[in-house]
Amino acid sequence: MPRHYDLCSRVQNGFRAHLRRIAIPDTKMNLAIANVLYKEGFVASVNRGDHIQPDTTYVPTTPDNIATRRLWLELKYNNDEPVLKKMTAVSKPSMKVVMKVQELQALAAGNRAQFIKGLQPGEIAILTTNYGVLELREALAKGSGGEVLCRAI
Amino acid sequence: MASTRLWLRCLATSAPVPSTLSIKNAIICRTFTNTAVVAVGRKRPAAPVARVPGLDNPGVLHNLAEIHPLLDHYPRLGDQDGNLNLVTAKNWPSNPPLDEMLKGQAEDDVDESSLPHGLTKDDLRKFIRRALVIKRTSNMTTAGKIPTMYALVVAGNGRGIAGYGEAKDEEPARAVRKATNRAMRNLTVFDRYDDRTIYHDIDHKFHATKIQFRSRPPGFGNRCNHYIHEICSCIGILDISAKVWGSRNPMNVIKATFEAFTQKQKLPDDIARARGKRVVDVQHTYYGASE
Repeated sequence: MPRHYDLCSRVQNGFRAHLRRIAIPDTKMNLAIANVLYKEGFVASVNRGDHIQPDTTYVPTTPDNIATRRLWLELKYNNDEPVLKKMTAVSKPSMKVVMKVQELQALAAGNRAQFIKGLQPGEIAILTTNYGVLELREALAKGSGGEVLCRAI
Repeated sequence: MASTRLWLRCLATSAPVPSTLSIKNAIICRTFTNTAVVAVGRKRPAAPVARVPGLDNPGVLHNLAEIHPLLDHYPRLGDQDGNLNLVTAKNWPSNPPLDEMLKGQAEDDVDESSLPHGLTKDDLRKFIRRALVIKRTSNMTTAGKIPTMYALVVAGNGRGIAGYGEAKDEEPARAVRKATNRAMRNLTVFDRYDDRTIYHDIDHKFHATKIQFRSRPPGFGNRCNHYIHEICSCIGILDISAKVWGSRNPMNVIKATFEAFTQKQKLPDDIARARGKRVVDVQHTYYGASE
């Protein structure tokens, strides 16, 4: 079962290699994080497909084709530079990071919380809350804390 | 005669030296007025008969504010005209004007057409110039060690335009002048958030020098390495915090700082454009920061 740090590595490496699109394992968590990246503008599109290419028409997931199911992310570049330069996991198996609203507010202001550095201009943090996988500012709007999965800039 | 104490006493007399004085102990010298001035040994001299105008009564102290051609002979008290050329705070020589500095370096002179960002030579004269590194390098040859002076000069207008130049020459002053010319040719514009600090924290590595820059709020000041401090004053950065890790070699710290500020800063507008987002200046418009 691939974890969120696997996604961070795939996305970051894909951008560094200047790939047009990358395939990541098709799981609910991966889809949720990919949706956040799409909403924030890091990624041009999120499609379901098989291990070779994205689907052009709808293909239902069955036990026959589940092994080949992938999520395809279309990567974005601007002036020969990747739009996403760095994506790192914050909460790891060695140290889980769960933050309250106050700590999230500190992070959003650029201050340190729980040994995690504050967000720089343009940086986002993706966290899983009771309302689902949200970006940090969306979680603050809902007034909810949660486990901080990763950060991207 | 080492044990003898000689009084040096200036006497102006038109009379010939009295024969009663022992010549052995006397030092006779000529003055401007063609009189004999006699320095005498142990014996007290005869009472002086003054014949020089202004010295009618040598017992009376005349005006010490004036320079007397006879008595105040030492040149350090002023020149022949009686002008005391003392250096005071008002006429202390500060940064000499640029054209004076660049005099005699026609080949090296900065061409106004080559200046970027619409600068003129008048603007250059008001630039802050700091010679941050002046070293003595030596080239070992078969003839021996040949020393050369190396200079690294940082120049900036304190409002976002700055650059640095390096040069070598036999004399330090000429090396500094050459380096200043090169700095003027290598000027770049630096982006500053709010005209006072960098947009975000920067980590940069140049050779063995690693520097962490941190953007800071207004009024914080430039709390950083002294070379970075000078560069910030030339660029016009007022609030910054920085830490140099690893090598603190001055030349590399300066180059690392310039590289970091030019390469690594990402403006919010560019980030938003890349992601297809709109930028709203919350700090100034929403919270209404006024001048």
